[in-house]
Amino acid sequence: MPFLGSVIPTFDPVSPQARSILDLTWVTVAILAVILAIVCGAVIVILLRFRGKPGDADPPAVHGHTKLEITWTAIPFAIVTLLFVLSLRTMGQIHPAAAPNQAPDVIVVGHQWWWEVRYPASGVITANEIHLPVGKDALIRLESADVIHDFWVPQLGPKQDAVPGHPNFLWLQPTAPGIYDGACAEFCGNAHAWMRLRVIAETPETFAAWTAAQARPPASQHTEQILKGGAIFQEQACVNCHRVAGMSDTANAAPDLTYVATRQTIGAGVMENSPENLARWLENPQAIKPQCNMPDFNLSEEEVAALVTFLWSLPNPTPPQGSLDHE
Amino acid sequence: MSDAVAGSLPVVEDEVEEGPLSWVASVDHKRIGLMYIYLALVFLVIGGLEALLMRLQLAGPNMALLTPKQFNQIFTMHGTTMIFLVVMPVVTGLANYLVPLMIGARDVAFPRLNAFGFWMLFFGGILLYYSFCVEGGAPDAGWFSYTPLAEQPYSSMRGVDFWALGLLAMGVGSVAAALNLIVTIFTLRAPGMGLLMVPMFVWMFLITAFLIIFALPALNAALVMLLVDRYLNANFFTVQGAPLLWQHYFWAFGHPEVYILVLPAFGIISEVLPVFSRKPIFGYMFLAGSTLAIGFLSYGVWVHHMFAVGLGMTPLLAFQASTMVIAVPTGIKIWNWLATMWGGRLRLTTAMLFAITFIVQFTLGGLSGITLAVVPIDWQVTDTYYVVAHFHYVALGGILFALMAGAYYWFPKMSGRMLDERLGRWNFWLLVIGFNMTFLVQHFLGLMGMPRRVYTYPNLPGFAALNGISTLGAFVMGIAVLVFVWNVLKSVRQGAQAGDNPWSAWTLEWATTSPPPEHNFERVPPVRSRRPIWDLENPDRADWKDAHAG
Amino acid sequence: MRAEMTVDARLRGMEQNKMLMLGFIASEATFFTFLIIAYVYFRTFPETGPSARSVLDPMKTGIFSIFLIASSFTLHVGQISLRKGGASAFGHWLLVTIGFGAIFLTGQALEWNALIAEQVTISRNLFGATFYTLTGLHGLHVFVGLVFLTIVYGLTLRGDFAGGGDPAGVECLSLYWHFVDVVWILLFGIIYLGVFAG
Repeated sequence: MPFLGSVIPTFDPVSPQARSILDLTWVTVAILAVILAIVCGAVIVILLRFRGKPGDADPPAVHGHTKLEITWTAIPFAIVTLLFVLSLRTMGQIHPAAAPNQAPDVIVVGHQWWWEVRYPASGVITANEIHLPVGKDALIRLESADVIHDFWVPQLGPKQDAVPGHPNFLWLQPTAPGIYDGACAEFCGNAHAWMRLRVIAETPETFAAWTAAQARPPASQHTEQILKGGAIFQEQACVNCHRVAGMSDTANAAPDLTYVATRQTIGAGVMENSPENLARWLENPQAIKPQCNMPDFNLSEEEVAALVTFLWSLPNPTPPQGSLDHE
Repeated sequence: MSDAVAGSLPVVEDEVEEGPLSWVASVDHKRIGLMYIYLALVFLVIGGLEALLMRLQLAGPNMALLTPKQFNQIFTMHGTTMIFLVVMPVVTGLANYLVPLMIGARDVAFPRLNAFGFWMLFFGGILLYYSFCVEGGAPDAGWFSYTPLAEQPYSSMRGVDFWALGLLAMGVGSVAAALNLIVTIFTLRAPGMGLLMVPMFVWMFLITAFLIIFALPALNAALVMLLVDRYLNANFFTVQGAPLLWQHYFWAFGHPEVYILVLPAFGIISEVLPVFSRKPIFGYMFLAGSTLAIGFLSYGVWVHHMFAVGLGMTPLLAFQASTMVIAVPTGIKIWNWLATMWGGRLRLTTAMLFAITFIVQFTLGGLSGITLAVVPIDWQVTDTYYVVAHFHYVALGGILFALMAGAYYWFPKMSGRMLDERLGRWNFWLLVIGFNMTFLVQHFLGLMGMPRRVYTYPNLPGFAALNGISTLGAFVMGIAVLVFVWNVLKSVRQGAQAGDNPWSAWTLEWATTSPPPEHNFERVPPVRSRRPIWDLENPDRADWKDAHAG
Repeated sequence: MRAEMTVDARLRGMEQNKMLMLGFIASEATFFTFLIIAYVYFRTFPETGPSARSVLDPMKTGIFSIFLIASSFTLHVGQISLRKGGASAFGHWLLVTIGFGAIFLTGQALEWNALIAEQVTISRNLFGATFYTLTGLHGLHVFVGLVFLTIVYGLTLRGDFAGGGDPAGVECLSLYWHFVDVVWILLFGIIYLGVFAG
């Protein structure tokens, strides 16, 4: 489905889960299309053949026909039974129960209005973008920190709610490297529309490299501008909400920013990521993502520039010579 | 004409009064029915404006006509209004007006309770809309108000409370109306009219009334618990309790609710199609029996609104099965209606055009519903614009079109005048075109990844174009509604005189004047079959002489 | 206004009133069923704090319950008297019914008072929430019933039932009162005696 697939993600599956669903969809739609055609056809025939004219006598009264009615009840019943059986098979394929003690590959926690992403095996913590290696069935555990959210990446498979107090799971196996867009699909308040999601599927090698880079402690660069940015990050209480490894490891009210510079979007998908856009965001987040939880801190241009420099410096692995310590 | 009415009631002096106050004090089922319908019309316009505002905001990507919170308030109010302040009142109003007439009664069993039911609805509507005036504004947690979003602290303002209280008040009114009509249908039928001889509209409303009295309590229980959570700091539906329990209770109400909305529409179609095909309804017993089946089954499918919340395989399978089963008695009615028209001599009045279009559009909506019953497909498209398309096809393309058919069909009876057929054609074509423009594309938007209840969307390929078409379609629908309102206002004054039975129909409401006198009938014709007037006018081909007439 | 009704129609009217009340009771029964389901469901949640077993006193509440159950009997006896023509006997039995109902409600109020003093509140835990919601709504239904019983008592004093018989209003109110009683028996069993609960 090349044309349709390029416009309609659900018709462009990149995982066995999404593929299974699409196959079932085609069969279902084909069967139901026949029913629609029969109904439309009947209406057309009726309009053509049975128009009356003023003065026509009333036709013979036909009150019913039991055998016919039984038949046209039994056939739809058979059809839905068939659909049930086909569906049962697909459900077993795409959503088998996880083994009781199986550790998830990724834990995704929905927050108003961003996604916390944790990799238990490597300890990596990030936000809004999920890297996955291709060719492997990833077990995604879904949780929520506040209200009900929903994880949905159409090209990779089914959606599932993230319910507070009730962890759920999904199996996703990207079969080709690429960037796959998704979104929160359960109304969760003001900025629900901008609680978007991105899955970045990569070869196992690339994924391993990414994991290693994310797991490394952030750089401790000490240009004046970076230090100044770091100080502002503390003073303006950014650390109260945002996690930066080594500075505010337990902060959880807002997206992790340790390696925000490596991400493709900011604000859970509201803007492409770049120093310029990050600056625009810091100037007034409410103008970009109205009614999100980050207030406007009324930062000066200088403060914004310093913060951007600081945040952008964190992934740089090169340690400086002769440096000062910082928390 | 023979007077087969045993123990007949003496003719009473009518005390019809004029003036608005007489309407407020009225206990006449016809006036109360009309008040329900007027209220529904007013809220249709309000709910429609809410829809147009939303479609304007969504006409292009990243628009800022409305803030997110405003948008969320509007879609909450739009949904709540259309269901509780438009469709439910209009079907209750139609039932109130027509059921006593159709069964040859003088009024409902409890006229004062009838008035009470209407005024509770009115009061509930005021409560709900008053929320716009309080700090924090209208409720913005959705018409379904999922928890924990609807709880403190996520919904810290009063909007949700006005929503809950308004619904409680409206619910009381609905139950009162339903109980009244059940007693009326059971005890006030004209002599000779067995329960399985009532017009299909009456039968459908009887089942609807039972659904109401057993479904509203689920909502009421949930609303009470939500208010207790919000104000007395309990934890029924917060994370310390069970947020999902709200969904179970809401949908235990919500699913029967959609049948409450649609069964009367089925009843209307079952009245209109036969008259304009000049043939009786095909398969009355199957229609009646399948509706009874729907009544029972409707309490067993609610979890299909929750396929993605993370329940285990067993509930998923059980409710997938029950949902597919209920599709059968619902769907086969289409065959009955087609068979009614087959072999007929169709008269393509405006009412008939709406009724025939109902068949196609409701089928489409029903079929998209079956795709949603298939759990893996649901897992892709639930909570997206695909679902929005589905329910608008059944609710708007289906129910509203049936209501339009009913309007054109019964307006003459209620007002004594005919609606203008030329304006009716404009009304019809604008509505069909507008409706399909608005909602057909939404199936694709859902498949393309657009979730529901979003105040805006990114500029992804195709999103702007399809949303733009949808918005245009909505405005075309708005014009259609204006044409309808104009038709009503004009025809009430200048429409052609209708006479008792302009359509040569066969049920008892057509055996009296248009509009009927306060006491409804001077004489009720003898009832020996489902088509008393047909029997009177065609004594040689009377239904009661026909062995096949069931 | 309504036409004069024939005897047929008047009897039909009696049926109508009863049918209405039974339909209403069916609806209310469904309402209580949903609240009971919530109670039973939340009992499966492991939680700390007060529970039915730890803070409720089935013996004491049982005594007040007996008064409520007895009030159904007294109302029934009153109806029998009325059918035999004894309007004033009916009035006396009504008074006893109201009294017993009031004793039940008083007992409930005292129980609530004692529980709240022990910090067993509606917000304390899920037991508190479901307990107060269920018993509170039931108490509200009892209260409404008492109001109507009092109105009927007033009408009796006024002589409305002097002819005796089986007035529709009395029959319907009696159905409602018995319903409220049956609901209490269910609630007592489920909440105080732990039927369905672990």
